[in-house]
Amino acid sequence: MQFQKEVEILAPREKVWEFIWDVDRFIACVPGCKEAKTIDPGKRYAATMVEKVGPFKVEFPTTIEVLEREELTRIKAQATGADNKIGSRMKLDLDVHLREDGDKTILGFVAGVDILGKLAALGHGIIKRKADQVLDEFAQAVKTKLEGDG
Amino acid sequence: MLRRFRLEEPESVAEAAELLGRFGESAKVYAGGTELLLAMKEGLVQYERLINVKKLTGLSDVTSADGAFVIGALCTHHQLENSPVLKDKLPALTKLEQNVANVRVRQVGTIGGNLCFAEPHADPGTLLIALGAKMIAEKASSKREIAAEDFFVDAYETALQADEVLTKIHIPVPVPNARSAYLKFGYLERPSVGVAVAFNLNGGVSGVKIAVGCAGPAPRRVAEAEALLEGKSKDEALRHVAEAGASAGRAAQAISDLHGSQEYKEHIVGVLLKRAFQSALS
Amino acid sequence: MAKAMIKHSDTQWIPVSFTLNGRLQEIEVEPHELLLDVVRDQLGLTGAKLSCDVEVCGACTLLVDGRPVSACTTLAFEVRGRSVLTIEGLAQDGKLHPLQEAFIEHGGFQCGFCTPGMILAAKALLDENPNPSEAELKHFMHGNICRCTGYKKIIESIMAAAKKMRAKA
Repeated sequence: MQFQKEVEILAPREKVWEFIWDVDRFIACVPGCKEAKTIDPGKRYAATMVEKVGPFKVEFPTTIEVLEREELTRIKAQATGADNKIGSRMKLDLDVHLREDGDKTILGFVAGVDILGKLAALGHGIIKRKADQVLDEFAQAVKTKLEGDG
Repeated sequence: MLRRFRLEEPESVAEAAELLGRFGESAKVYAGGTELLLAMKEGLVQYERLINVKKLTGLSDVTSADGAFVIGALCTHHQLENSPVLKDKLPALTKLEQNVANVRVRQVGTIGGNLCFAEPHADPGTLLIALGAKMIAEKASSKREIAAEDFFVDAYETALQADEVLTKIHIPVPVPNARSAYLKFGYLERPSVGVAVAFNLNGGVSGVKIAVGCAGPAPRRVAEAEALLEGKSKDEALRHVAEAGASAGRAAQAISDLHGSQEYKEHIVGVLLKRAFQSALS
Repeated sequence: MAKAMIKHSDTQWIPVSFTLNGRLQEIEVEPHELLLDVVRDQLGLTGAKLSCDVEVCGACTLLVDGRPVSACTTLAFEVRGRSVLTIEGLAQDGKLHPLQEAFIEHGGFQCGFCTPGMILAAKALLDENPNPSEAELKHFMHGNICRCTGYKKIIESIMAAAKKMRAKA
């Protein structure tokens, strides 16, 4: 599943870039994400993703690897996780872009999400919708956090 | 093999609600089990307790009171399909019930369970929205009404609170010139698209209600499509039904998946709306 | 798969007293046990088959109080106080039921895997509607899937049995 999101943030690029690497504040923007840990600063992080669709709940202990980094411009990362209780695996390929637009920053990302295993039994439509929702909420949360903090 | 769970068998709605409140997410209401047991067998959900609600009394009948049909949540699809009360005044509903899943599911599956599990690919919710039905949700010491069009929040999610039990469904007794129809389409085990339409016919069409289900995460009423037909003469309405169908298709929130592409589902919504409307008129 | 009956003090056992093929049975089951497993593994009646496991194919069909259910998705305790009919209980005193005879005579089965469920579902149909139209038959039997016959012979068998049963009645 592919998703593309873009959000306009009323904050300078440097501030947005700084925010992304502030793991705790950043992770707080991902709905359902908790217990963020830095394993290798700038390279490896861990977190737990908890998502719910009606009565179906998944908990993915997730590892996030930063694959590429272009200062103030781009991040390529991959997150993988497995929920052994339900027997499902998750893989997220994330390409984040930052660009300046006057005094605004355009934060864009392209996300490739793969869900394997039992959870897929819920149906592609449900999962796609949920993933879309999570990514939307995430983008909005980043914007709100950055604009609100002044 | 299912994982072990404890069986609770409350004898009153208050007791059932109390158990739900006490055990929270580790307990689940169990009636016919035709959806729940499948999810449990798949390992998608796990519960420490199942709360068997089949011992609750007064929830397995179809009666009428104060101008409404009152359907107990424990009524099986088989009961509803054969209800003489409903067959006479709501043939669209008995026809729908007759075509739910297969004969074995209809035998034990309950209307309440179907509505509360809120599986997107289901039939009854869509028609109940078009018929202006109201769900009665009860707790230990309170009761409230939820309009069908507000009942389905998202896929597998209803407006019920964690400790509420769905007890009855009220459907207003249709007036003499009321018409309704439900059509569905699918080639997989569960329906891919379902469309319901209801209106009063008196020279023109009024009180139009249109609902679309299965294509999106939850059945929903489509006011935009209703507006295109409301108050028009029969012939004028028929001329606008394609437009209404396109509007309903867009409102269906369809997503491309095994059931079909988004465009295909939207197209089928239009086709079914036209046919359902024509069927209701005849 | 034989089950070791290890009784822990906090295990919940539900007494299930029911009629199985006309005879009273009294067993104890845990809440999570499925009817198909109990019938096949504990009671040794292997006519009902585990096939799709999602109540779609009908190979596990049993009659409970004369009505068809998916035994794969029925909790065993639900038959307490009820009567259960399996394919093994259809023949009486060694004499085949008209449906069984018709399926043989008209070639209503090939591999036989769907057949117990098919015949029990047909029995429930004819008990409810002794003279079904082909459309009514197809609607009722819609939930029983066969991979071998292409259904034509099944329909013929059921119609023939129905005719015989009506003549006898």
